[in-house]
Amino acid sequence: MRQSNITRRTIMKAAAAVGGTTLLGRPAYAKGNVTAAIYPGTWDEQYRAIVAPALKKAHDIDLALEPLFAVDQIAKAVASRGVSPFDCFVLDPGPRVTAIERGLFEPFDGTKLTNAGKLPAGAVDNWGAAVNSQIVGIAYNPKKLPKPKSWKDLFQEPYVSRLGLTGFQTTFGTVSLIEMAKAFGGSETDVEPIFAEIKKILPKIAAVTAPAALPGLFQQGQIDVTYTNTNNIDSLKRRGVDIELAIPDTGAISFVTTLHIVKGAENKDNAYKYIDTAISASVQEALLKSSAVLLPVHKDVVLTEGLPIKSLDELAKFVTHDWTKINPQRAAWIERFNKEVTK
Amino acid sequence: MAGAATAAMVRDGQAGERVEWRLATPLGAAYMAFFAAPLLLLAWISFYEDNELTRLGPGQWLKFLSDPFYVGVVWRTVVLGLVTVAAATLLTYPLALIFYDAGPRVRKLLLFIVVLPLLTSVVVRTFAWIAILSREGVINQSLLWLGLTASPVPLLQTQHGLVLALMQIEMPLMLLPLLTVMQNIDRSLVEASRSLGASRWRTFFRVLLPLSVPGWVAGATLVFASSTTAFISQSVIGGGRLVFLPSVIWQQAMVISNWPFAAVASIMLLASVLLGIVALGALGRLIDPKGA
Repeated sequence: MRQSNITRRTIMKAAAAVGGTTLLGRPAYAKGNVTAAIYPGTWDEQYRAIVAPALKKAHDIDLALEPLFAVDQIAKAVASRGVSPFDCFVLDPGPRVTAIERGLFEPFDGTKLTNAGKLPAGAVDNWGAAVNSQIVGIAYNPKKLPKPKSWKDLFQEPYVSRLGLTGFQTTFGTVSLIEMAKAFGGSETDVEPIFAEIKKILPKIAAVTAPAALPGLFQQGQIDVTYTNTNNIDSLKRRGVDIELAIPDTGAISFVTTLHIVKGAENKDNAYKYIDTAISASVQEALLKSSAVLLPVHKDVVLTEGLPIKSLDELAKFVTHDWTKINPQRAAWIERFNKEVTK
Repeated sequence: MAGAATAAMVRDGQAGERVEWRLATPLGAAYMAFFAAPLLLLAWISFYEDNELTRLGPGQWLKFLSDPFYVGVVWRTVVLGLVTVAAATLLTYPLALIFYDAGPRVRKLLLFIVVLPLLTSVVVRTFAWIAILSREGVINQSLLWLGLTASPVPLLQTQHGLVLALMQIEMPLMLLPLLTVMQNIDRSLVEASRSLGASRWRTFFRVLLPLSVPGWVAGATLVFASSTTAFISQSVIGGGRLVFLPSVIWQQAMVISNWPFAAVASIMLLASVLLGIVALGALGRLIDPKGA
């Protein structure tokens, strides 16, 4: 029998070679690339389908998308200590403020965006550019419940026993709870009333849940009313779930999602082009019409039927929040919520 | 001549030992670099006072240990693990006994059924349990249809619902080691016990149970470690009103970015899982002093 020529030395050499290649580190990006973090799910899907081809066509830049929730992006950027794991963030207002405080953004030069002028005032600042508006309101099952009229309604029958409550860990959860606190006499910085109210209704409510479980619970009929953003409502509706948005009498809440360049990003110029493409009229219109139903920020985009707003100007009348005031208190609120609701 | 041969053997033996040591080096180094070092780093981070990791101090530990809520969370997490182990044991032993008495075909079929759930992701299994336990789920629909209850019974977002789901999700982890051990139990021991007049129960408690304990300890350890750390099942099925250590770690590390406090919670989780494992091993030795 022929003996194999493989000796220990050969194996060690091969192993060293394999190990060695990983030590060479991340290969440098070829010119014409940009890596952007994106929210998992419909955002990721539609950015791949719409933004990536548009960016390739307009600037010959390959877009690599990394699906990460806002908090995961922040954690990853902090953990990477200066070696940016991607070039662009996509963030809600809360994490955006955290990132600014932690110095995770490159200073942003709005003049590099050709579409900047088409965005509402204040949409582009020294940290990044708005890319999408989100609306938060009450989501309810119209087959099981009458349309709720106010945040206070959620605390009474028939709603309270069908209510799915979620805490301060998401943007929509935080702003909704603040609005409820306001309805009971609180303010943006004083959510004490909502804790008192929650305590009263706890034995009655249908579920206190992690935000990720909300859609599943709604679909399975465990809860029939909750608060969330219109993206979540639309995506459930498309799956045939009986769900509608109700705007409370004090107004729906709106906030903008923003794009930012990561400090020390490798592909800064391409990142600007990516952001410029994402806010361009054609891309914004396609994203609105896609299954993600991303509300545009570009003024030229004509809004489709069935949206909670007829024109972008209406957003100005919506309730907004100052996250520089909310963020310092949020950790305590999250902790307090845990303690109040725990059995 | 013989002496030379012996010397050569000794030399070979020594060389062999040296080779073994060197062969284990890559794995050892990998463990040091990717397991021990991060763990030490975790312990180090837990001694920072602030989120930005600038001031050292025991503040986060004091906060965790002096707050009845967090101590309660540790306790609740350990209890969840123990109750799941108990529930899984009750479900697993009858199955293992059926397996022990079954012929090769039935054994194969049983094994297939047991392994089948392992082939789907734990996320899918967890979400399937929402469909089973919810108000309009399979269990409640059946109860309502049978007239056993007038309104849906709360199952989702309750401790018993969570244990029920975890029991099914983690069951293969206990059953597989148990089956492996039981397969090797000499059948003649059972026959001897029976022919000497022991009842079925007595045979089970005096012969089969002590002999199968090593398998149970291995399985119970896996179930305990896996159910106390089952972040997805705990948060999706247990819901927000049942707070366990994994969700505290996630909230502190990811949402609040308070890494030191998350590190404290992680070390507490690690410690309580290790303690639980030691306790299960001790219980095994109690049942069968020679075995486990």
